[in-house]
Amino acid sequence: MKLSEVFYPQDVEEILGLIRKNPDILLMAGGTGIVGSQPSRTIQLPEQVASIAKVQELRKTIRTEQFLEMGACTTFTGILSLAPASLPDPLGAVIKSIGNRALRNIATIGGNLCSRSRFLDLWPFLSCMDAQVEFRSPSGTRWASVGHLCGEDNRPLIPPGSLLSRLRIPHYNYDFVYYRKLGNSLYPTADSAMFVCMANIVRDKVEDFRLVFSGEKAFRLKDKEMSVSGRKTNTPKREIRGLVAEYKKSFEEMELFDSRPFAALLEDVFGRLFL
Amino acid sequence: MIIDVTVNGVQRHLKSRSGDRLVDMLRKELRLSSLNADCLQGRCGKCLVFMDGRIVHSCLIPAFKARGGTILTFEEIAKNPEVNDIEKAFHATHTQPCPFCHTAKTMVIFDLLSRVPLPSEEDIVEALDMVSCPCGDPIGLIQTVKLAAELRNKRKFNREA
Ligand code: FES
Ligand code: FES
Repeated sequence: MKLSEVFYPQDVEEILGLIRKNPDILLMAGGTGIVGSQPSRTIQLPEQVASIAKVQELRKTIRTEQFLEMGACTTFTGILSLAPASLPDPLGAVIKSIGNRALRNIATIGGNLCSRSRFLDLWPFLSCMDAQVEFRSPSGTRWASVGHLCGEDNRPLIPPGSLLSRLRIPHYNYDFVYYRKLGNSLYPTADSAMFVCMANIVRDKVEDFRLVFSGEKAFRLKDKEMSVSGRKTNTPKREIRGLVAEYKKSFEEMELFDSRPFAALLEDVFGRLFL
Repeated sequence: MIIDVTVNGVQRHLKSRSGDRLVDMLRKELRLSSLNADCLQGRCGKCLVFMDGRIVHSCLIPAFKARGGTILTFEEIAKNPEVNDIEKAFHATHTQPCPFCHTAKTMVIFDLLSRVPLPSEEDIVEALDMVSCPCGDPIGLIQTVKLAAELRNKRKFNREA
């Protein structure tokens, strides 16, 4: 059996030092995704692993008037223990639907966002909510929009050789929040996906419309979102049918997923938003 | 490698390899018979332990992550009077679990009652979700947990009074 070298960095500086020496080191917080997806008795790990779950800087939560900021190693239980009012809708409900309590006691928000094999449950919500993440690397610190953790191939894109250290979620609640989870297993399968749509209704107009469908790949079209935003909720049915058809066509052309569940959810969303 | 960890109140230096799961290290090094590794996916609940005060599936945790931590297994938890309340409730409601999930169900009810002394049905269902049991009576178990809570609160209240 190949053994790995395990490190226990005490702070972010030490983590960055480890990354400097080996950009491929595995940074493990909860580790539920890595461990739970391996059926073998022995867990396969890369040559070097850093256990970062106990690094205090990565577990802090700060609430300001504009945003809620959480260290990447905040566990789901830690998030749920915050006052419900400090959690933007529907984050609390979504986190509660992930796994079971024992799993949520160790799974972290950073681990959920850093999955390289597929988008996990939180990404589409945080992407719609314009959340930002901080990446730290030996060459510096940068903030990126959660939506940008998606490459041109529509798969997760986590900058190599860097540490996702913090997440910032703006305090902003949407009037219209719609989501459906496809697939119901504890661990995602090839067919699991999340459909999320958020919007505001301002003076009978749909504003800030955003729609994400993600699983192994992600689908989001900003130009289509813009063409929906600003429309009156009583826009003629014919026009809405045209919008839905365009959305469906773009989705089919991208050949990311089976388009049937997407089409059904899309129709449901538009049926609810436009009277 | 050697993992320094406190298990059931005793400081231990346990041998482990980097790819070992916590459940395997505890079973192999300490022969804790309450622990089993069955699904290895956080479903069955047979490997539940308390790590640093929180209930976790020890099959989902690499052994090296326990370094410097505190682990409580059923062997220690069973010494609490709360477990007696839970046992009485199992008997009274005729929901005595089978030997495969008895420990797991006791652990999750113990965890629930120590966090929420008067749990709602939603709390109970959420807690029992940590143990997969295809054969039990879910409605009966809700009554069990409610009764265990009642017995616990009565005992605690009487003692304090
Ligand atoms: S072996 Fe850990 S939950 Fe089944
Ligand atoms: S598995 Fe034990 S009672 Fe169902």
